[in-house]
Amino acid sequence: MAHVVKYHPSISLLEQYSEGTLAPELCLIVAAHLDFCPHCQTLHRDIEADLGCELAMQKAPVVDGSQWEQMLDQILSAEPVAREELSKQHSLHSADNKSGRVSELLVGAHRFTVPRSLQRIVAKRNKWLTLGGIATAKLPGSEENHLSLLCIETDTEVPLHTHKGLEVTLVLAGEMVDEMGHYAAGDLIINTPDHTHTPKNISAEPCLCLSVLTAPLEFKQGLTRLLNPLQRFFY
Amino acid sequence: MLDPQQRSGHYGAEISLQSRPMTTQEMTPAIAAGQWEEALAIVALHRDKSAYAELFRYFAPRLRAFGIKMFGNEQQAMEMVQDTMLNVWQKAALFDASRGCASTWIFTIARNVRFDMLRKKQSRKDDISADDLWADGDYPEQEDNQSQQWDVHLVAEKVAPHFHALPPAQRLVMEKVYLDELSHQEVSEQLGIPLGTVKSRIRLALDRLREAIDGPRS
Ligand SMILES: [Zn+2]
Repeated sequence: MAHVVKYHPSISLLEQYSEGTLAPELCLIVAAHLDFCPHCQTLHRDIEADLGCELAMQKAPVVDGSQWEQMLDQILSAEPVAREELSKQHSLHSADNKSGRVSELLVGAHRFTVPRSLQRIVAKRNKWLTLGGIATAKLPGSEENHLSLLCIETDTEVPLHTHKGLEVTLVLAGEMVDEMGHYAAGDLIINTPDHTHTPKNISAEPCLCLSVLTAPLEFKQGLTRLLNPLQRFFY
Repeated sequence: MLDPQQRSGHYGAEISLQSRPMTTQEMTPAIAAGQWEEALAIVALHRDKSAYAELFRYFAPRLRAFGIKMFGNEQQAMEMVQDTMLNVWQKAALFDASRGCASTWIFTIARNVRFDMLRKKQSRKDDISADDLWADGDYPEQEDNQSQQWDVHLVAEKVAPHFHALPPAQRLVMEKVYLDELSHQEVSEQLGIPLGTVKSRIRLALDRLREAIDGPRS
């Protein structure tokens, strides 16, 4: 991908993603960012190496031996998975035509490529709802975190809106601008409740985004820890 | 803190794969000598039960401690241990030592198992699963990023106030490299951690310091 991603998650956000402690919907948007961003892929791998080392360097607590022996026997009695089966399972990660995955998305007359991490969930999208030059489709999310796709036509402004939680947006295709920057594929935009903005598509191509709206209170305590320093500055 | 003498003693040590009775003693942590990577390779190639048992005895109690930290209860932690270690047994052939060390691979399995356990409990595994989130191994290997190579010495004054805010493990590695001027290999030997982990911790620490000084990466 020729485009260089400019807006990244903070290291602490990446850490929570790598640990798997971040809300699943936010994990997903970070995963989709990684599909675009070699820099964060490297950091993510570094964090995993760090966490793996920490796991292994712990002092093991004293445990009851027979309980472990029992588990060990149980595992060793399990049938090994055949090598062919393993490589088949493994290649499913990148396979395009696995059922339940879509690698391409059609919005009106526009065709978009779907990043690896989103191929399963995009297949489960609701109907597109169109208003003005904006089309949205809900994706399965939780009560707390709403996940949706947003397609903004050329010369279209997203109406000024407020939100009570975080609004995290990832540009999947095309470009858009707001009061603070110019964003293209892979760029991650995090807005806090206090912070209103008016995203606009002023380019000649439609702009496709993934958006997560979090519950009002979820990040009240650790709010600044989720944001990169630029946003912290504006906050 | 770790005793460097004790650590370096593991270097070049013969890999012992004989079965020995499960003890209730603490096992000394040791991961730098490459024995777990070799054990996984032997399990993958020969379905060697004693090599697996060694892995199990080392990692299962540590996974349990990790699981208790994550779940807050023993029962789910043990479920996670069993499922993770079963994956290690059945899928050892998927481990690729060129992509990272054994402990990292086992950590990622445990993380994914835990994530899917929590999703399953909410009957939401079909929406987002660990497979969607972590493409581990599927990304192409990256070259060392040039922009990361800024010289800490040149900006020591700016860096110093942020040093203390680094996570302890990263700070320790940074101190050994930049203050004691040890090579990465020497740090790996002293701390008894893999060379790759030394490099990872330096990259993470540099990025963190950069984030603190410069604002976001651009
Ligand atoms: Zn990034």
